[in-house]
Formats: sequence, structure tokens, C-alpha cells
Amino acid sequence: MSQSDDVPLQVRGKDRSNQSSMSDGKSEQSNQELLVEEIPAHIQDLLPDLKNSPLEVALATDLHFSGNYGQDWLLATNDKIIAAQQNGLPEYQLQQIDLKQIDKVEILNLHGNNILKIRIANQGIELARFSKRQADKFNEARFKIEELIQTQKGEDQKIDTRPKNAGRKTRCEKCGKAIPHWSEICTACIDKGKTISRLLKYAVPHWKLLVGGLMMMLVLTSLGLTPPWINKMLMDEVLVPAHSAISLGQPVSENAGFLLLKYILWLFGITIITNAFGAIRSYIMSWAGQHITHDLRTETYSHLNTLSIDYYHKRDTGHIMARMTHDVERLQDFITHGIQSMLRSGIMVVGMSCILLWQNWRLTLLTMWTVPLLVALTIFIGKLYRRYHHIVWRRVEKISTILASTIPGVRVVKVFGREPDEIERFNLHSKHVLEGGLVVSKIGAFYHPTMGFLMGLGTTLVWWAGGRQILAGTMSIGDLTMFLSYMWQFIGPVQELSRLNERFIRAATSAERVFEILDTAPDIANKVDTTHLDEIEGEIEFKDVIFSYDGELNALDGVSFHVNPGEMIGLAGHSGAGKSTLINLITRFYDVNHGQVLLDGRDIRDISVESLRSHIGVVLQDPFLFNGSVAENISYSKPDALPHEIIAAAKAANAHDFIVQFSDGYDTVVGERGARVSGGERQRISIARAILKNPSILILDEATSSVDTETESKIQEALERLIQGRTVFAIAHRLSTLKYSNRLLILGHGKIEEFGTHNELLELDGVYAGLCKKQAELSQIRVI
Amino acid sequence: MDTINIEDELKFVDPQQIELKLNSFGDLELHLPDGTVHTPVVPARSFPLTDVTHYIAIQTDNKEREEICLIEDMEQLSGESRRVLEDALEKAYFMPVISRLQAINRRFGVTQWKVETDRGVIVFDLSSRSAISQFDGGRLLIKDIDGNRYEIPNYLQLDPKSIALIETQV
Ligand SMILES: Nc1ncnc2c1ncn2[C@@H]1O[C@H](COP(=O)(O)OP(=O)(O)O)[C@@H](O)[C@H]1O
Ligand SMILES: [Mg+2]
Repeated sequence: MSQSDDVPLQVRGKDRSNQSSMSDGKSEQSNQELLVEEIPAHIQDLLPDLKNSPLEVALATDLHFSGNYGQDWLLATNDKIIAAQQNGLPEYQLQQIDLKQIDKVEILNLHGNNILKIRIANQGIELARFSKRQADKFNEARFKIEELIQTQKGEDQKIDTRPKNAGRKTRCEKCGKAIPHWSEICTACIDKGKTISRLLKYAVPHWKLLVGGLMMMLVLTSLGLTPPWINKMLMDEVLVPAHSAISLGQPVSENAGFLLLKYILWLFGITIITNAFGAIRSYIMSWAGQHITHDLRTETYSHLNTLSIDYYHKRDTGHIMARMTHDVERLQDFITHGIQSMLRSGIMVVGMSCILLWQNWRLTLLTMWTVPLLVALTIFIGKLYRRYHHIVWRRVEKISTILASTIPGVRVVKVFGREPDEIERFNLHSKHVLEGGLVVSKIGAFYHPTMGFLMGLGTTLVWWAGGRQILAGTMSIGDLTMFLSYMWQFIGPVQELSRLNERFIRAATSAERVFEILDTAPDIANKVDTTHLDEIEGEIEFKDVIFSYDGELNALDGVSFHVNPGEMIGLAGHSGAGKSTLINLITRFYDVNHGQVLLDGRDIRDISVESLRSHIGVVLQDPFLFNGSVAENISYSKPDALPHEIIAAAKAANAHDFIVQFSDGYDTVVGERGARVSGGERQRISIARAILKNPSILILDEATSSVDTETESKIQEALERLIQGRTVFAIAHRLSTLKYSNRLLILGHGKIEEFGTHNELLELDGVYAGLCKKQAELSQIRVI
Repeated sequence: MDTINIEDELKFVDPQQIELKLNSFGDLELHLPDGTVHTPVVPARSFPLTDVTHYIAIQTDNKEREEICLIEDMEQLSGESRRVLEDALEKAYFMPVISRLQAINRRFGVTQWKVETDRGVIVFDLSSRSAISQFDGGRLLIKDIDGNRYEIPNYLQLDPKSIALIETQV
């Protein structure tokens, strides 16, 4: 097993790096490299002489057939397949099969592992077992082997219909490292320094202010270092001589009063200056910081709006929102406070060290060793503290999750009488929080006294060593007080600096997350030379369309059909058949992997996305309304619509009558996601919205499946009027909804099963006829 | 009107009466008491996490995955059928059991785990915290970035170092 963890990783690392150079044009060449890994000597020795036929495939698995981790090998030349397996035996067993014999190569897609299996005349042989990590690699190998078999048998090569991965990548193409779920790009391949310097570019427009602010900070910080120094002068030149003179019964020197006033004025002045200018400086830096983040935020938001549906599908809404709020805020904090306090702390530490060493290097060295100790302690305990704090925080979060599910679900809880169980579950988690909280308190309770003790120890040391030097006459009382005050001031900046790295990395990460959005190219990018269509006929054609969301299963698998302008097409088929997917391709929420979608004879990728969508109106099963008035929601599709247009659209959608019954009429606010209007009403408002735009292509995706029959017939009525002169795609489960369709397209598992008029399909007596019969029976039952 | 007994919906078969074997292609064949033979078929656990030997569904091996029958307790199958089914299930549900954690490295939300399992040592990556599901009794189910799954029956029974490492993650 010793080889299991290291060796395959290296091999993987290598094949990923090859993949990065791969593009469609030269995939033949690079696939080759990808599929041939370096074979270790002990396998090489087993192999027969392969001089005449070079290896086309040589891949290591990461599992033995026994299910233990380890390498078996799958090799293929242009005339045979060789599998080297170690089935719990010390020796590898070789299996050789002529390609000519092979009827089929398949990959069994199991849970947590896959198996590559071949079928020959009367036998099935499992050749390789591997974990999901190697699924892509062996998928490629399978296609390669199929290709070799076809060549060997002298058959024509079939067109490449394999699914392509349109989904999000989980591993970096360059380094093979895992990509975090919130990211699109590999965080290992980013350069921290570059990220920060890119962030600083946003500061460039405000450079004058920033430089001014920093200069002020420099001066103010230096000034802030002087009070202990003035205290010392005050002590040594005024107070101590005066005090000793008095205790000896001598007169106090004449200009002592004047000196006292002078130093006090100094101190007073410095306090005024540092605080007054400190306020100005702080405002300047905040101003710049806030402006920088404002720029960044608006740029990011407008870029977010250009990204494809797919981008949003692949991510939690919460994560995207967190970047716009949390990460941007963290950047602002870094720019306004982080950079400044780093610089200030640096200046203070260096300045104070210089003054102290210069004044009395021996005392400095003697006493200052407590400082690193203090800092080390705070870092250590701080880490511990944060870790436990985080654990508690997560436990509290779990409580919120419980609340978030049971409070909205309170009816379900009550109906099934599960209150006692829910209370018990809550108590259990609450107890976890309690236990965690106590640990945190313990650490906190230990932390502060320890800090106090170390500080006290440091001070005592200074008193002791300083006191001895004063007794020996090598040091003044002023020096001692200055030492003590610097020592107290020293801790803060040093702690600050010890967090420098962490702060820097956090800011870089946040910046990277924000930049990641900015760097994501819109998936459905307009090609450079797209045309803008002002008018369209509405003729749609699918040519041999293949599409997959995840690269594993084809949601549409070779779909071809033609729709005339103004025709209404009813789409039916079991759920998951690919009906919505077909719609997604027409609206270009996704692009096809293979084949073409044509509008008026043009590939829709040659039409600009904006103009394409301006001709399409969509009504979905669960329509989304924004929190605004009914009128605002209807006119969302046409912001400059006049009131009478809005009313006309509402009338056409059979919505006008109920809208005017609201006490606020068209000004009724629909609530978050339209929660304050009923499902059927929401549906009709969204139909009005789609129709206001007067689209040439109308798409209804199960637009009536969530409403009652009464409402449905109202919507039906509306639709009947609306389909005139438009190309319509209507998806519905109730076939009666499709009665106005010119033709019906029946999908099943991503393929077209039937396509024709109602009568044609009935005559065909296939899937559609079956569905009709079933629904007829159902409706009879209802009548009875 | 008679109430419908929902248990009638179940397609239980008497485990003694059926037979499961592999045909020469290595496909699973199901012989039912009425003499019908279904092939190829695949087994599916109803409770892959909580009960691996009960309620095993036998489905057709195609896109529809229609259930042909449900085996309440696979222990009651005849010796050969049981061995064949166990074998098929072992392949169909590959989920190593983690016995010790060697290290967890964190880097921007990705955690790389190096663990010892009953199948050997392995390194895998998790892309987010949600990859770890927690069940009662300290049971953890982990799904890595590539779709492989690992199990810890009760993490509180591992060695102290492993527990400490896990506590930082769940
Ligand atoms: N965003 C998505 N990501 C991955 N798979 C998807 C996505 N949307 C749909 N699918 C899958 O694609 C197939 C077709 O789905 P869809 O077109 O929505 O079916 P329907 O005919 O019910 O509208 C289904 O297997 C579904 O699980
Ligand atoms: Mg759908």
C-alpha cells in the first residue's frame, strides 16, 4: 500500500499539466500524452515485446479489484488491450485481449468508484477499477480504445457524440489542485503580491489624498513618540533638581518655573496636534477607502450582471452575496485601517527601539526580552481562542439552522405532533453551545491574568534593574520613567505587526474572490462579429443538438427539428426529459455542445444575445416577481411602457380584473418574491410582463401547472389570444393545455420520441397516444 | 371505501425463492419464483448509510431503473445468491472507512485530508465544509471534490489527534 498515496498523485499532477496545453485543434496529439503515463519498471518487465506497436493507452488506476488502494494498469496498443492486475497476490496478473474481439467498451458508473468493462463474443471482462478522481482520465481512455477498435476492424469512425463537460471544474487544469467551491479559478495559482498590487491600482485615482494622509500619519506618529521623552526632560531638568533642592533646604533654581511651563506647553501642543490632525487624517483615509471600495463594488456588480445563468447555477446565492458585501468590506478595512496601522506600528517599533537603545542599551536589552515573550503568548492564546471561538460560532450557527427550518415549518411540526422532539433537538444543540462557550470562557479567564502577570513582571524588572542603575548613579529618574512608558507602549504595535502576515493574506484572499468575479468571462459571450436583428420571423431549427450540464449525461442527445414562424409547438415528456433544457438553449442561457440552434436560418451564436432575448418572452412555472408594485413588475420587460400599455398587457393576460380589485390597484406592492399575491395571480402578472414586450417567440414552461383548473382556464383564454402571430413553445403536463398546438414534440431521455400533429400522433399510436388515453381515463374518473 | 394498505405497494419477494447469478458477461441475472428471468439488473440499497443489508432493491439496468423486487433481508438469500449480491453491492457502493487522520492542510477553503482507511492510505480534497455530513452518534460521511465517499462510524472513538483535527472541520 505504500505506493498508493504518493505515486498516483505524482502521475496525476503530470497529466494535468499536459492537459492545460490542450485545445480542440490539437487534441489528438495532447490526448496521446495524456493517456500514456510512465510505467514503473516492475510493470514494464512483465509486458510482452511491444516494439512493433507503441502504447496508445497506459494508465494507472488507484484501486485494485479487491477495493484496496493501489495501482493496477490498463494498457492498449493498436491491436490489443493489456490489463495488469494485482488481485491480492504479490505478482501482477496480465490479461491480453485482441481489439478485434471486442464488441463493446463500457464504464460502469457506480457510487464512489467506476469500473471499465469490455464485452467480447460470450464474455464480459472487468479490466480496471478506479476512484472518481480518475473518472475523466478513463473516460478519455475508453473513447480512445473505441477508436482503436474501429480502426482495427476497419469501420468508419462515428461522429464524436460524447458528452462534454459544460459544468464547473473541480480541479485546476494547470496544477491538478482542488478548486474551492466558491472559486472559479485555482487559488494555488494566484500570486498574492500581484493581487495586492492589482488592488492598489484602484487607489491610483486617489493617490494625492492617500500620499497626503500617509505623510500626515508619518509626522503624527513620530510626534506621538515624543511625550515620554519630554516627561524625562521634565523629570531630570525640572522636577528632580527642584525636589532635591527643597529636601536639602536650598532655593529652587529661578528658571524652573519657566522650564516647567515650557515642557507643559510642549506636551499640550503635541496632544492638540496629534488629536486634531489625527481626526483629519482618519477622515481622509476613510474617504479614500470608501471611494475605492465603491468603485470596486459597482464594477463587480455590473460585471455580475453580464455573467451567464450557468455561473449562478453553479454557486450558492449566499456566496455571491458574501463577496459583494463581506469581502468588499474586508478590503475597505484593509485599505483604510490595515495598511495604515501596519505602517504606524512599524514606525513606532523602530522609533522606540532606537530611542531606548540610544538612551541606555544595557537596560533595554535587560528588560525588553519580556516583550517577545508577551507577544508569543498573545499569538498562541489568540490562536487557541479564535479556534474555539470559531467552533462555538459554528455551533451557534447550527442553532440558527434549526430555527430557520422549524420556525417556517412550524405547521408541519404541529400537524405531526413533533414538538417534543424538536425541543429535545434544540436543547441538545444548545448544550453544545454551552459547553463550547465555557471552554472559550476558560481560555479568556486564563488569558488576561497571564498577560497581566507578564506585564507586571516586565515592569518589576525595569524597576529593579533601573533602580540599581540609579543607585549606581549611571541613570537618571527621568530615564526610568521614560523606559516604563515606552515599555507599555511597545506591546500594541508589536502585536499588530505579528498579525501582519495573517492580515495580508486575508486581504489578498478577499481581493482574489472579488477579482475572480471580474475575471470570469461571460460564458455566453457575444462573438465579435454578431449581428443585431431588429425584426425576426420566428423560424426555429435544431440541428443535431447535443448538450450536457455536467459532462456525464446528455440532457439533450441528438435533437433535430424544424419549426415554422407563427407555429405553436407543444412540448411534452416525462419530467427530466429535457424540455426546459431545450428552452434554455433557445434563450441561450446555455450554448450547445454539438450541433446548431438556428433562428431564421442563422446560428443563434451569430446573433447578439441582447437582440435575441429582446424577441423572446418567457413565462415560468414559478414566476419571479420583484418586491415592487404590480405596475413595476409588469413593466419590467419594457421600462418605458405607458400606463395604458401596462393595462392592455394585463387585460390580455386576464389579470386586469383582479388587479383593479386590489385596494391599491396597479400600485399594490407584491412583497418579497411576490409573496403577497396568490400563485395564479403571480402567474398572470408574469404573463402580462412577457406579453408587454410583444415578443415574436413566446415560451411557456409549465406556466399553468401550479394553478387550479378555474384559474387555468382563465390563463388558457389569455394564452389563446396571445399566441396569434407568434412562434410559441408551450410545455405542459396536462395535455389539454396543448390543445391549440399546431404540432407536438414528445421528448424522452433527451431524444425526440415523436413529432407531429395531434391526429398524426394518435394515428401513430405511440407515446403520445398512450398519454392521451391515460389522461382521458383520469378525467373520466374526475367526472364520476 | 376500503382503506388502502400502503404496504401492498412493496414488491417484497421471498429471499429463499429467488436466485441471483452472474451470467457469462458478468451481468447480474435475477430468477423470480414464477420462472421469469431479468437481466441485466442492478442492486440498490435503500439505506446505504444506515442499513446496508436490508431493503435491497433490484432494478433494471437502464435509464428508467424500474424496481423489479425488494429484498427485505439479504442474509436470508441462499448462499450463492447472497455472495453474488454482496459482491455486486461492494462494487456499487465503494466507501472506505477512515480509521485515523494523519493531517489536514487548509488552503483557501480547500482542505486536503491525508487519512488511513480500511482500504489503505489516501489523500483527498474537500472543497467546502458542506462536504461533511454529520449524523447522530458522531457518525460522519465525507464526500470529496471528485465524488468519492468516505465514512467515519464514530469520530469520537478515534485517537485524540484525529478527533482534534476533525473538530476543527465540523
Ligand atoms: N442546472 C442543471 N445542472 C445539471 N443538471 C441539470 C440542470 N438542469 C437540469 N438538469 C438535468 O438535465 C435533465 C433534463 O432536465 P430538464 O430539461 O429540466 O427536464 P424537464 O423536461 O423536466 O424540463 C435532467 O436529468 C436534469 O436533472
Ligand atoms: Mg422543466
